[in-house]
Amino acid sequence: MTIKTTLVGLAAAAALATPALAEYPERAIELTIPAGAGGGTDTSARKLAILLEEALGTSIAVLNVGGGGGSVGASQFMQAKPDGYSLFATWNSPLTTVPQVQNVAYSLDSFTPIASTSETAYTLCVKADFPADDGAGFLEELAANPAKYTYGNDGIGGTMQLAAERIFQTKGIEAIAIPFGGAGETLQNFLGGHVDIYGGSISTVLPYVETGEAKCLLVTSAADVPALPQASGLEALGMGDKETLLWRAILGPKDMDPAIVELLADTIEASVNDPGYVEFLATKGEVPNVVKGDDLGTRLQAEFDALAQVSKGLGL
Amino acid sequence: MDFYVSALANVLTFGPLAAMIGATLLGVFIGALPGLNPVMAIALLLPLTYSMEPLVALAMVAGIYNGSMYGGAIPAILLRIPGTPASIATTFDGFPMADKGEAAKALKIACWSSAVGGIASAIALMTVGPLLARVTLFFGPAEYFWIAIFGMASVGVMVGSDPIKGIMAAVLGLLIGTMGIDSLSGQARYTFEQTWLLGGLDLIVVLVGLYALPPVLQLAEKCDLKGLSAAQLKLTDVPFKRGEIRGLFPTWLRSSGIGISVGILPGAGGNIAAFLSYNAAKNASKEPDSFGKGNPQGVAAAECGNNADNAASMIPALSLGIPGNVVAALVLSALTIHGLQPGPQLFHQNPGLVGGFMMEMLITSLLIFLLGGAVATRVFAQFQRLPGVLLVPSILILMCVGVYVINGRPVDLWVMLAAGVAGYFLEKVNVPLAPIILGMILGPMAEQSVRRALLISRGDATELLTRPISATLAIATLLMITWPIVKAMRSRRAAART
Repeated sequence: MTIKTTLVGLAAAAALATPALAEYPERAIELTIPAGAGGGTDTSARKLAILLEEALGTSIAVLNVGGGGGSVGASQFMQAKPDGYSLFATWNSPLTTVPQVQNVAYSLDSFTPIASTSETAYTLCVKADFPADDGAGFLEELAANPAKYTYGNDGIGGTMQLAAERIFQTKGIEAIAIPFGGAGETLQNFLGGHVDIYGGSISTVLPYVETGEAKCLLVTSAADVPALPQASGLEALGMGDKETLLWRAILGPKDMDPAIVELLADTIEASVNDPGYVEFLATKGEVPNVVKGDDLGTRLQAEFDALAQVSKGLGL
Repeated sequence: MDFYVSALANVLTFGPLAAMIGATLLGVFIGALPGLNPVMAIALLLPLTYSMEPLVALAMVAGIYNGSMYGGAIPAILLRIPGTPASIATTFDGFPMADKGEAAKALKIACWSSAVGGIASAIALMTVGPLLARVTLFFGPAEYFWIAIFGMASVGVMVGSDPIKGIMAAVLGLLIGTMGIDSLSGQARYTFEQTWLLGGLDLIVVLVGLYALPPVLQLAEKCDLKGLSAAQLKLTDVPFKRGEIRGLFPTWLRSSGIGISVGILPGAGGNIAAFLSYNAAKNASKEPDSFGKGNPQGVAAAECGNNADNAASMIPALSLGIPGNVVAALVLSALTIHGLQPGPQLFHQNPGLVGGFMMEMLITSLLIFLLGGAVATRVFAQFQRLPGVLLVPSILILMCVGVYVINGRPVDLWVMLAAGVAGYFLEKVNVPLAPIILGMILGPMAEQSVRRALLISRGDATELLTRPISATLAIATLLMITWPIVKAMRSRRAAART
């Protein structure tokens, strides 16, 4: 090796080791999505990436790493360099739910929380002839008939199931969980009468609420949801602290430069609140919700601890 | 009627028309390159169309979807490499035809059959689809279990002369299908503490390795340094002989029916449509033994079946808001982005757009007639003229690129290599490969469905047989398994009499 190439190599290494904030970002950013192309997390992250590219003035390469309910992508991403050029766009489940049922190589400490982007509640719905018309009546009927009702959900140990069980455990309810491959499949089996209760995302079932075929009586958020006037929020039922949502966030690998985190968090906040993006979120039944930096870390930890307790109760 | 006329008028404008032509061509290419698949292409391109007119975006989806289902047949016929999982059944008779010097004819039959299947399916989508959609809701987990078993019974036609080896291959596929997180208990199975195995082995990765590597290795063994001249390729257009189309007609009718029925059921999928169609064609044939040796009916059945699945798979998505596969889910997300709400109200909300998309599914199927044959013979078949020393590395590079972009993981390349080496040796000892893929597709479907059905019935197994549809499907499966035996016994008796 000649002296010249050694020097060039050293200079390149030095440049990689100390990314000065003034120059950030000076090359393309790689955004890992722990789900296959085409799903909810993928479409919202890709749409956001287009806005972030504009705001940051650099290109963003999206990498889909699916499998294991998001744990495959998360495990792969935790090994990335914390230089600000590797980001992770995920929904909450791979970080707070999946570790409850799988042996994963990562923990919350393996990531630097940057900012959350959007959120939506899950809902529980029944057919029109169900003998209850509000959230309180729904839970009473379930409590009075242990193991009578089946509810479809997004998968065993998934966030939807834990969100429901968190409520059921509080009220001493026993309902039979039937895991399906996603909200569409759950809806199909609910409409066909194969399961009694639909459990899943709001936007999927909404058309059938409008035709009167389904009535949604409960949402897993503390507040009520305007699109579902018949459904009770958990606050109204005295369980505001049992809220479990589906939400999305962008994180980095452990030990990122705080200045870059702050810059990214502010850029993400601006892009999420772009009117075009808010409108896009609305079509999916989501609302923007930006929680930045350490506050996001606290939110993740609180959710992780609460769900750990629920899954212990389920024996998962 | 007004509905279709106005839909047609909306679609026959510059934007959608150009998008359909471009996307159909692109689709044929995507289908023809092993590893690249329509789901990925649509998922990557759709976000770019969010700002475009919705009919242009949907034209692109229709073109890529229909084009790629046909495109998969091109390497299946020319090289015995299925471009997509749905074109495996095309290799059974397509490659033997090419081997006999009838490549041009096989490609032409594939092209016509794909177009016919696509057209039949689009017509079903526009007419009876919305009426039938509600019927699919009667299919619960118990019924899906029987559909999977019914599909698995078609393994019988693939096993060839040695049923034991065929069944062993199917069991291997079932075993591979159990790998990864079990979606009903959350337990990891056969993952050996490897994170990348949590999602199981990817079907496309295994397919590319298992199916593409052995033919490539065989090409390499030939050590061909020269290639073929244009004259040696013999790819001049062979016009259909008189009566030939009429001879294919019953097969087209049957395969379209099968493809549409499978497509309309959410989650069943085009991969099994081709297998079932092929199986039905062989069972109905007077000369079942000629299948697998270059029977044009086999190519027609498989290609017609997989294209007939396409538009039909949009029926539950458009009329119920239930996406039956990933492409349908992407179409629904494109519609919501343009302010439409999928579900029972969609037709009333925006008949122009929904009708336009249906029309696009029809027109892109027609385009296969025009574009498909030309692309196959003018472009892809010319690759065959390359000498082996160039063809082998080119295919290998394309395979690696295709496999890598699926999950962005280098480890998938090793899986592909392992599957390919396994496939090479399995072929050497005459173990058929198709049952492995069939097992991988249907095993998880059968397992999850039966366990869901038992969860719902609180462990009562009689529910699998006592529901009207599940009982019908169970009897159909039984008939399908016994039919070839009855037929063989009858012909033996007839032979004894003479």
